[in-house]
Amino acid sequence: MYNMDSEEINHLLELARIELSSQEKEKISRDLEKILDYVRQLQEVDTSGVEPMTGGTIIENVYREDEVNEQRQCSKDKLKNSAFDTKGDYFKIPPVF
Amino acid sequence: MINELHQKLINKEITAVELANGYLSKIQEKDKEINAFISLADKETILKQAEQVDEKIEKGKEINILEGIPFAAKDNMLALGTKTTAGSKILENYESIFDATVIQKLRNQGAILLGKTNMDEFAMGSSTENSAFFTTKNPCDLERVPGGSSGGSAAAVKSEMAPFALGSDTGGSIRQPASFCGVVGFKPSYGAVSRYGLVAMASSLDVISPLTRTAEDAEIVFKSIAGKDPMDSTSLDLPLFSEEIQNTQFRIQNTVFGVPKEYFGPGLDETVKKHLEETIKKIESQGAQIKEVSLKMSPYALPCYYIIMPAEVSANLARFDGIRYGSILKSQPSVANLRDIYFKSRGKGFGAEVRRRLVLGTYVLSSGYYDAYYKKAQQVRRLITEDFNKVFQEVDFLLTPTSPTLPFKIGEKVDNLLAMYLSDIFTVGANISGVPAISLPCAKSENNLPIGLQIIGPYLSDYSLLKAAKSIEDIIG
Repeated sequence: MYNMDSEEINHLLELARIELSSQEKEKISRDLEKILDYVRQLQEVDTSGVEPMTGGTIIENVYREDEVNEQRQCSKDKLKNSAFDTKGDYFKIPPVF
Repeated sequence: MINELHQKLINKEITAVELANGYLSKIQEKDKEINAFISLADKETILKQAEQVDEKIEKGKEINILEGIPFAAKDNMLALGTKTTAGSKILENYESIFDATVIQKLRNQGAILLGKTNMDEFAMGSSTENSAFFTTKNPCDLERVPGGSSGGSAAAVKSEMAPFALGSDTGGSIRQPASFCGVVGFKPSYGAVSRYGLVAMASSLDVISPLTRTAEDAEIVFKSIAGKDPMDSTSLDLPLFSEEIQNTQFRIQNTVFGVPKEYFGPGLDETVKKHLEETIKKIESQGAQIKEVSLKMSPYALPCYYIIMPAEVSANLARFDGIRYGSILKSQPSVANLRDIYFKSRGKGFGAEVRRRLVLGTYVLSSGYYDAYYKKAQQVRRLITEDFNKVFQEVDFLLTPTSPTLPFKIGEKVDNLLAMYLSDIFTVGANISGVPAISLPCAKSENNLPIGLQIIGPYLSDYSLLKAAKSIEDIIG
């Protein structure tokens, strides 16, 4: 059985930017242990020399002109409406520190 | 069904306004019970669109097959005039800022958006029980789940609240609910339909496609939304090579169907198995060749999925920072700094399943674990794909169950993570390898619950697969 201690879950939650109560932390740790135990069965597959499949597509290097497509432009007001806060045409956020 | 409605419109047996009103009253009448819709489009806009179609018909102008046909879309596709919540609290206040390419294409062809359907939060789940808002009920049995994550779309089509609905499929999210609700669910080849405007879950696995009442309807809708889109660099042009296929007759007698033995082993419900075997016999009796095959890597598809998918989820959902996509903290002055917005918005805004996958994805991508988990899964992904490629040298299509179980009861699996994850065991393979697959209702259990047959085809064989599906649909009757 995998064991996820509090230091590890705190580190992961810090990386994922998620705030949880101590009760929720306990629950998610136990859940992750179960899932990690389940996915660990991949270790039994011999993958020596197998090139990783890094995506779902056969397409490579798609280019397009970096031009504004006015038909697909979204409205400034709509964008501003979905902001946390705005000042003039800018998104406004609380201090970084 | 779509063609029938189209004929009725052009023969003036019904007007587009009557058609739209008909569906709106169906929704009003039935959705209190089913809970398929998260939000409805503005009624006036719907009726105005319908009036325009009627005017065209009145003037004797030709109309497109989808013109005046109402539809629903899963609530993870942006559509102007609607909110797009993706079933999540973190997007509760998010107004769509543009039309997803699929919505734009359907609108350009005159189809009319009725509303947005319920789903598991960010398409993570197999029952709609992970929706932040409510659980949709299965129209075939109100005590049971409709499947997921596109459960709202499946339930809407089944209960005739929409003639067709769009869904998205990352590990089975179109096919499994289609199977649970007794409708048709098509998952095209990866890239066949643009994902622009879809709230991304796992970008190398996500596809958009319709849930419909018939395979013919699936083909009609798929044709109208497929194709290369400059806004999605992974999108492909299928129609180019489809014309040849369009003109060749599909003959079941010339077709070899593989039955992979790994899909019929332990873990498959006995009732589902029995009905699947009967269906396969019926197909064989029509002259198709049935061949037992082996997909040795298939037991690894689900664990592989549970590494690759959360890894992509953790990257895709990083954008939900509480700042750009509608805030859920607006009324809380207690936010001290930027960091606070991130942690509080994401802690409160994401539900338990989404948080699990975010943290799991963070784990498998973090330094020290990357090779053991993520790289390993990518290698296994290649082996699974090669497995499919190899089997398609022997057979034209594969026949499998869509879901290992009958539709389960609401609440039955919420506390058992892995049991819930196993709902996708037969469907994830197609996403991992990018191949197209379709679920058709093929039988009903003794207690009247639908059972789905999954047909899987080679990569980019979408139009042939749809032809095979139409033919099998006729055989099933």
